Amino acid sequence: MMSSYAELYPVNNFIGDIVRSIFPEPAAAIINGLLALLSLMALVGSLGAVLIFLERKVSAHFQLRFGPMRVGPHGLLQPLADGIKAIFKEIIKPAGADTFIFFLAPLLPVSAAFLVLAVIPFDHHLQVADPAGGVLYVLGVSGLSILGILLAGWASNNKYSLLGAMRSGAQMVSFEISIALLMLLIVMLSGTASLRGIVLAQQGTIFDWWIFKLPFLGILAFIMYLVASTAELNRTPFDIAEAESELTGGFATEYSGISFAMFFLGEFVNMFVAACLVTTFFLGGFHAPLFGLPVIDPLLNLIPGFLWFFAKAFLIVFLYMWFRWTFPRVRVDQLMYLEWRIMLPASLILLMLSGLFVAQGWVG
Amino acid sequence: MNDFLFYVIASAVALLSLLAVTLPNLLHGAIALVGSFFATAAIYIMLQMEFLALAQIALYVGGIVVFMLIIILLTNDLGVDNSLSRVSAGRQVGKGVIIAGFITALCLFFTSNPSLLLRTTEHRAAPVSIDEIGIRLLSTSNGFIVPFEVVSLLLLAALIGAVVLSRRENKKEEKP
Repeated sequence: MMSSYAELYPVNNFIGDIVRSIFPEPAAAIINGLLALLSLMALVGSLGAVLIFLERKVSAHFQLRFGPMRVGPHGLLQPLADGIKAIFKEIIKPAGADTFIFFLAPLLPVSAAFLVLAVIPFDHHLQVADPAGGVLYVLGVSGLSILGILLAGWASNNKYSLLGAMRSGAQMVSFEISIALLMLLIVMLSGTASLRGIVLAQQGTIFDWWIFKLPFLGILAFIMYLVASTAELNRTPFDIAEAESELTGGFATEYSGISFAMFFLGEFVNMFVAACLVTTFFLGGFHAPLFGLPVIDPLLNLIPGFLWFFAKAFLIVFLYMWFRWTFPRVRVDQLMYLEWRIMLPASLILLMLSGLFVAQGWVG
Repeated sequence: MNDFLFYVIASAVALLSLLAVTLPNLLHGAIALVGSFFATAAIYIMLQMEFLALAQIALYVGGIVVFMLIIILLTNDLGVDNSLSRVSAGRQVGKGVIIAGFITALCLFFTSNPSLLLRTTEHRAAPVSIDEIGIRLLSTSNGFIVPFEVVSLLLLAALIGAVVLSRRENKKEEKP
């Protein structure tokens, strides 16, 4: 199986070539696969620290505070201190909680993020696997994080947790419909469901990115995707699942120590994953923002693609954080109204209009 | 290597499916079901049917299991104390043994007479790409455009029905 895996998704970058030059073929494929998984793990771990630090700093500056300043220069080592504290704290399991599910649930959101990261094209050859139906894979695997939240809420044996979990399950399932429809729009425009193919379809200047290439509709789809993914991530203004003021923390109420930290990590890495998907679908992925100018374009092209990718992704992450400190939380019924009465019809109409645009050749 | 992996995954599918129907706690059963869906997807990938594997994960793990979980969470009795009596458990086991014997006999019959059934599958099926599936689904000649449209009409009706059902009744508020 490993050999056919290597045929399907060979590691084509220079690390893969080095491994292949040192080891014979069957071993090289296995080592390449393991290296790819290890690098993903390192990415997830370091992203967690970076994003939590960013969130604290950004929120602090939005509120005219400094945020963490004591540990290291400008509080740079604060995530490390937080992590060590979380590891050494005791995990308290409530009486009557279901042990197996209680400890299984925190792992699911992180593993969903991990699995989606495997198909994200960070650069031309910086992608663990590129299945032809990548979009379908992303949609399917992200269901795992809903599963984790539902199970956590039930296993905690706490009414607040169960209420939060049910709210969040309903919310994520509803908004996934809009997300799927908007992904379908992008698949229709690109003519492929592979994430790498979608990025390659946006090759050229900044006006070839789907956000600008589709006249008017592109930017509309981009905004709708941002709203829907914020709701899917359970972030403020759609954080009715956690709702500290009503539900004392929702599904994560009973969690402490490292299992709470896993939820936290999953939430933040999922935010980054959503930003990666926005970058891939609308912002041209790893392509440099070229303007068709003679002098500047070659200079912009000098910067490697993965740096562009991360810059765009962190811009979107900053947008998510900005939302959080700008909008107040909506009510449950307002949220459902937004999805079923506004977003769903709007995304269906958008899909039909884009179909018309593609059929008439008005794209680009 | 290939055969070994197949046996590992196939036994995982069998074990997890067995757990899904035998565990007394419904929620544990649902988790075992998720595991068995994933293992089945792995078998599809081994057969190079990528689209089928992805559809399996997207539909079953992402959709159906989540709805099953919501339903299970809304039920009061998770069936923890509802273990079967010895007599009815024995009956279930008996039925299982009969069905297993029947299927084994069928497999043995067809493997000893390969001319009857296995001719179409003895060549390894060529991997079908997702593009081919899409083109075949929507092509008017030699395609599945009619069933596709019928299914989409059905789904649209279901969607509109859900919106209508969940609409708030305003009649009572209009009276005064």
